[in-house]
Amino acid sequence: MNEKNIFCYLMVAPALLVTALLGIYPMLASMVMSFQSYDLLAGQRDTIEWVGFENYRTILADDRFLQTISQTVIFTILAVGIVVSMGLFLAQVVNAKFRGRAVVRTLIFSPWFVPPVVASAIWMWLLQTERSPINAVLRDLGWTSGNIRFLTDPETWGPFSIPMMSVVAVRVWNGLPFVIIFLLAGLQSIPKSLYEAADMDGAGILQKFRHVTLPMLRPVLMVLLALLFMNGFGHFEMNYIMTQGGPRNLTNVLAVWSYQEGFAFFRFDNAAAASGIILAMTSVICAIYLRLQYKDDLR
Amino acid sequence: MTILRRTALAVVLGSTAAIAAGSATAQDAVEFWTMTYGDQLNWKGEVEALIDGFTEETGIEVRHEIVPWGSAFQTYLTVSQGGAAPDCADMYWLHSFSAIGGDQHGPMPLNEYRDEYFPTLEEDFYAGALQDVLWQDDFYGIPWRGDIRAFIYRTDFAEEAGIDGPPQTWDEIVEDAKALTVRDENGNVERWGFAYGTATNVVSWLLPYYWQAGGTMMTDDGQTATIDNEAMRTALTFMRDLMWEHQVVNPDSLEAGYDPQPLFVNGQLAMVGSAEQAWGVELDRDYPQLEGQWAMATSPAGPENSDSFSGAGYFGVLRGSDHVEECVQLIEYMSRDENMLRLAQAAGTVSTKPEVMASEFWSDRPWKIVVGEALQDAHTSQHPAPAWSAIATPEPGGILYDLMYDVIVLQEDMDASIAEAQERMQAELDRS
Amino acid sequence: MTATAGLRRAPEIAVSAHRHIDLLTRIVILMVLALLLVFILLPLFWMLKSSFQTNFEVQAIPPVWLPENPSVEPYDLAGQLIPLWRYIANSLYVSTAAAVIAAALSAMAAYVLARFRFPGATLILALILLTQLIPSVTRIFPVYFLIQDMGLLNTFSGMIFAYVGFSIPFAVLLLRGYFQTSCPPELEEAAMMDGCTYFGAFWRVILPVSLPGIAAVTVFTFLNAWNDFLWASLLLSSGEMKTIQVGIGEFATESGVSNYQNAFMAACVISTLPALILFFFVQRWLVGGLTAGAVKT
Repeated sequence: MNEKNIFCYLMVAPALLVTALLGIYPMLASMVMSFQSYDLLAGQRDTIEWVGFENYRTILADDRFLQTISQTVIFTILAVGIVVSMGLFLAQVVNAKFRGRAVVRTLIFSPWFVPPVVASAIWMWLLQTERSPINAVLRDLGWTSGNIRFLTDPETWGPFSIPMMSVVAVRVWNGLPFVIIFLLAGLQSIPKSLYEAADMDGAGILQKFRHVTLPMLRPVLMVLLALLFMNGFGHFEMNYIMTQGGPRNLTNVLAVWSYQEGFAFFRFDNAAAASGIILAMTSVICAIYLRLQYKDDLR
Repeated sequence: MTILRRTALAVVLGSTAAIAAGSATAQDAVEFWTMTYGDQLNWKGEVEALIDGFTEETGIEVRHEIVPWGSAFQTYLTVSQGGAAPDCADMYWLHSFSAIGGDQHGPMPLNEYRDEYFPTLEEDFYAGALQDVLWQDDFYGIPWRGDIRAFIYRTDFAEEAGIDGPPQTWDEIVEDAKALTVRDENGNVERWGFAYGTATNVVSWLLPYYWQAGGTMMTDDGQTATIDNEAMRTALTFMRDLMWEHQVVNPDSLEAGYDPQPLFVNGQLAMVGSAEQAWGVELDRDYPQLEGQWAMATSPAGPENSDSFSGAGYFGVLRGSDHVEECVQLIEYMSRDENMLRLAQAAGTVSTKPEVMASEFWSDRPWKIVVGEALQDAHTSQHPAPAWSAIATPEPGGILYDLMYDVIVLQEDMDASIAEAQERMQAELDRS
Repeated sequence: MTATAGLRRAPEIAVSAHRHIDLLTRIVILMVLALLLVFILLPLFWMLKSSFQTNFEVQAIPPVWLPENPSVEPYDLAGQLIPLWRYIANSLYVSTAAAVIAAALSAMAAYVLARFRFPGATLILALILLTQLIPSVTRIFPVYFLIQDMGLLNTFSGMIFAYVGFSIPFAVLLLRGYFQTSCPPELEEAAMMDGCTYFGAFWRVILPVSLPGIAAVTVFTFLNAWNDFLWASLLLSSGEMKTIQVGIGEFATESGVSNYQNAFMAACVISTLPALILFFFVQRWLVGGLTAGAVKT
């Protein structure tokens, strides 16, 4: 082994070790469990049975679960799409030089300092039909005659509904700082000379964004999108706290389903199988990402 | 740059050293966990004052820790599976956690200490409360807090509407609720006449109406589900009609995040059928300006009776504790009348001992007298099956929740929904 | 006053930094920005104003937007309910240690994964990516019992270990992308020509130039740990070791709603302050680091 390889392994080893213990081991444990019968109430932990794909068959036979799968995808696409577009816009703003930039930046990043549990509680309050200050303002302005039921209106338009959009909005709010900070770091690595050259060519703001900013941000954007999608498919906290998946399953997503199956019904085997489904979905994203990455490396 | 790098290095090395030195030293004190109740400020101080008294009497050191409600369930679930456990704790859901822990982890039976420390158990406590600490003939601890629910209403609105006194029957609930519901010119509801219950656990709202219609959830041995019957149809019809036919109940009631208290105190809700006694404490403390505008009353009677929801939490010992004897002493100390009174006062919950309920504290406010009377109608919410907590879980996917949602909110076919719930419930009972 | 003035003028100047923007575009951008700021700040404003109101006012319908008699009593109450400062100190310690360790370990790994081809590199990357594939809720029991078996329950080290582990995959992936975009390979080639070892090149040349990326990852890890409730509440039960988020959790009652909504909001405000202040200073340096690096090259 040459010096370079030894150096590489030494550099990777600590991170890999920690990841193996806290990332890979729990994942394997969960996947193994999805092929076993693991019912806490049955008190059979010493004699664990292998049941093959039985758990998967059980959950996939449930219509509500199938609805939840498609909803998880819609939720994630909406949340990721909106958060990245907003992030691209706001990152440009906070990247510009102006007086008081530190204050504006800190304000824009401030949702990051509110833990998701607390944020969900405050948003629930802001969106609770009778107590909502948003409803109060809308009614005072005369824009609406009744209260909007942000988290409870069961009316649907295709796969969309008001509660779904409300929860997406809160997830966007929560995810925005994270997106902005990485886009900002990416933006700052773009050499100024490129913009100056574009200015010389008389490019407008949109042209510069399309021909300079976006291509230069590509690697950062790709990682970011991959991470956001994978995280989005497994998102749990805000959906669970704000609506518990309701009304009428309209805001249910896979991770919430999995959590309820385990922690409310004590069926950790079904919960693990639901995680297995999430794994299959995130694997697709992962494969796409690796493939694009590979192509980039070849170039 | 160099300074930065050095600082970073120093922090890394420093924290590693701290980690090495940071492993907790073993302590010999008894570890005792509680959740918080009532006025949180009072609670911690009162429990710790009680513990000080105990230490003074016995010389046994006790370390008290608060388990936040937000993680209490996960905490006890890990404890029941062999996670780090306290010596003794304030617990609930005995049947489920016992089943999960088996004979290795979780709650520990205290049969051998029963005669020595609690010789007059049956006389000292309400029978309903004791049901929550007995499981498969084993004795697990002392019930210390009760949760009794009764009727609550806004007397000012009732007077306005010319209603004197609380409703006595289901029919009167409907009549009064109609009179108390107020709509604006656009048809928006400005005040709802009625809400089924106050607790965030919406499944607990169904139970009293079902009992009042003469139903029971399962057989006494916990083996057979018994919900496909006329009583269930009566209870669900009553609840559904209040929402849709009479339109006096908010159709969003069953959704997560529905919170009746702000509505009640702001005059947007007039009556609640099954109100926790804790509302009395909270309204007294936080809304003194509402004094005289609300009152509690015993549950209006259904077709069969006026059973009221009741539950209990208990102090128990955890398997694996090295301080069982000391824990039992602590529990015995806590269960004395004077200490039970202090706990009930701090927690704002009813006591599990008739002796304590007879004290002056429980008669100095009109609502407290009502709460005392409601105890006569107490019907325990515990059921002798480990799967009960899974059956009654108040979220979408839970059997009783789905039943309520399908029939009351979605107005689906009642017979089919009940038959399905019965079948699912039986399957759950068969799990263990 | 100056802060507000700067704030109000800020977006305008921001936009004027670009030369070829007409008035209409500028107005549109400003309006969008204003809307987004309302969206971002509304919950924070709500938290702040509620922390100065009485409970009665907090619960009022229709809502009261500004405290009628602003009072700091809720803060006083919050301090009586939980040992705020003790918990904040615990949180600071755990989060800082986790952030620094995670950033260091992931910078090392990300650098070689971004720059070198060595046998197994793709496999390692795939493994790290793989951990992001399942939702964190399924990790609860395996991780809890792993930490228990290691004897790290109820220790700060256990917490730090967990947070480092949860953050590393994310951090490695992000830093790898960052190393690929923002550090030209010529940098360490030059350093190696000057006789630096592999590690020397990484330590003296690459690290200083990559500070913005590393800072971002550190901030991210720090906040991940700072904002965590679930793990902190499961892995630590001892009162004097609780973190601020667990402390805030003590406000919740059985029904999930605190009787001291105003004190609860006050505790939330206080718990966001250290992170906010820290960020205010770090973000300057976060930007400064890069410009400095760019100037040097």
